Amino acid sequence: MSELIKVKQQGEARCEGLSYQDLLDEETVEVPAYLRENTNPYMGDEDIDVARWVGRDFHEQEKKKLWPKVWQMTCREEDIPEVGDHHVYEIVDQSIIVTRTGENEFKAFINSCLHRGRILRDNDGHAEEFVCPFHGATWDIHGNFKGIPCKWDFSHLDQKDMSLPQVKTGIWGGFIFINFDDNCVALEDYLSPLPEHFARFPLHDYYKGAHVERVVNCNWKVGAEAFMESFHTLETHSEILTFTGDANSQYDTFGDHVSRSVTPMGIASPHMPDVTAEDTMRDILELSGRMATDSAEGHEMPEGLTARTYVAETNREMFSDIIGEPLEDATQSELEDAILYMLFPNTQIWTGYHGNIVYRFLPNGDDHNSCIFETMILMRYPKGTKKPDPAEKNTLRPDQAFSEAPEIGGLGPVFDQDDSNMAAVQKGMIASRKGKVSLASYQESRIRHLHQSIDKYLNA
Amino acid sequence: MATTDTLILATDITDNQTVPVTLDGKNILICKANGDFYAVDNMCTHQRAELTGGRIRNCFLACPLHGVRFDLRTGKPKGELTRVPLKTYDVSLDDNGNLQIGLD
Repeated sequence: MSELIKVKQQGEARCEGLSYQDLLDEETVEVPAYLRENTNPYMGDEDIDVARWVGRDFHEQEKKKLWPKVWQMTCREEDIPEVGDHHVYEIVDQSIIVTRTGENEFKAFINSCLHRGRILRDNDGHAEEFVCPFHGATWDIHGNFKGIPCKWDFSHLDQKDMSLPQVKTGIWGGFIFINFDDNCVALEDYLSPLPEHFARFPLHDYYKGAHVERVVNCNWKVGAEAFMESFHTLETHSEILTFTGDANSQYDTFGDHVSRSVTPMGIASPHMPDVTAEDTMRDILELSGRMATDSAEGHEMPEGLTARTYVAETNREMFSDIIGEPLEDATQSELEDAILYMLFPNTQIWTGYHGNIVYRFLPNGDDHNSCIFETMILMRYPKGTKKPDPAEKNTLRPDQAFSEAPEIGGLGPVFDQDDSNMAAVQKGMIASRKGKVSLASYQESRIRHLHQSIDKYLNA
Repeated sequence: MATTDTLILATDITDNQTVPVTLDGKNILICKANGDFYAVDNMCTHQRAELTGGRIRNCFLACPLHGVRFDLRTGKPKGELTRVPLKTYDVSLDDNGNLQIGLD
């Protein structure tokens, strides 16, 4: 056998027993094609240098070659519902005013006055025009220059282009994206195959029901990677193993910008062979934070039904009531499993019919040793009723626990467990004498994929 | 509780509306947000601009001049332009549904 084939086989090892695809075979409705995709090209097993997370040089390279080139999610459309509403988006040392200029039109301006350079807008808000708070230079919301006090002193500006510089904008799923690069690929090409995979989940028609953020003392990639594999469930979240098929998870990569993990729920972990269906049902309702109800009170497992089926059908009924339309075509997997996509480089979105979680990990300004971890929950509302206003962002203090944010419910305590690792990983990487990390071939393959995609930008 | 010379019916104010009133010589802004009533000094703590007509969203009132946002519940500002909170007043309803504002 050639070396090459041996290596390939090593990358194809999987946990023994039930796979996610085996579970799909048990579905009673038609399984959509995107769930049947199972693609994980072997990417190697080399150790990765900790400098990618803790080195200042690497951060500087990202600042120069990554962030100026990628499409990045800024906010939700419903965050700026009226013409003139704007969101100030900050990435490393850059600041952008994302503003609604028409019913379905958005522009993004460099947030810097063309007179003396002060940022034009300090906060999110609403403006009829952008007046610099320093000397009063003014632009309309389309970026056209309207003037400056003491015009007699600025005749030398008459021949200059005083329009506010813009960056590219794009919309998908109710998210507003920007890209600093005038020559970037079109957003739809960058996102592919995400829109196709989310065809059953019209995120543009969801609303942001919760938005919580907090600074975490780790590099933004350490934060993101805490949510890119289910391998850590065994040690970090052992209380959820009764209903989480952690080692049964499937990991996929699609091109350079999208990857996904699918962790079956409503089945016990392969690490826990003796769990009863009753235990699984009770624990998933009470602890997962993602089901249609957060209490097992009044729920009794009917004879002959699996916990996976019982919980999926409970979700089907309750989600249908919330949305106001039947979910007859939904698979049990879509009603229950943790199907989590990553959109390169720093946004992660769950599929689902109600209560879809979104994560974003932003560098905390120009500091490579801390990041801003945000969680949003996208909710549905009854068909034919007015879309509810989005939740105001709740910024927790650095000393606060995520469980102090009641709006994210059962997720808070789970995040607190993840939080107990994130800053500790950063600290341990800095202290490391090995100076490298090793990754699981399959279960941590999405992390390798993230780094290989980053390298494509840094080496471009 | 002090009331304005012209009684203001709670039902006359719609959500996200601001109504300036003069009370004991003070310029006070009554606001309605998410169904609740709030009263604050009608003067931004950044540059003393009137707050009348400022956008209200989610319990935050934005100054029309430079956009400082104040939490109507506490008067606390967000952002860097000012760190000085707006003075807030208690608001209650009398038996006829008129708004009453508590001056200290």
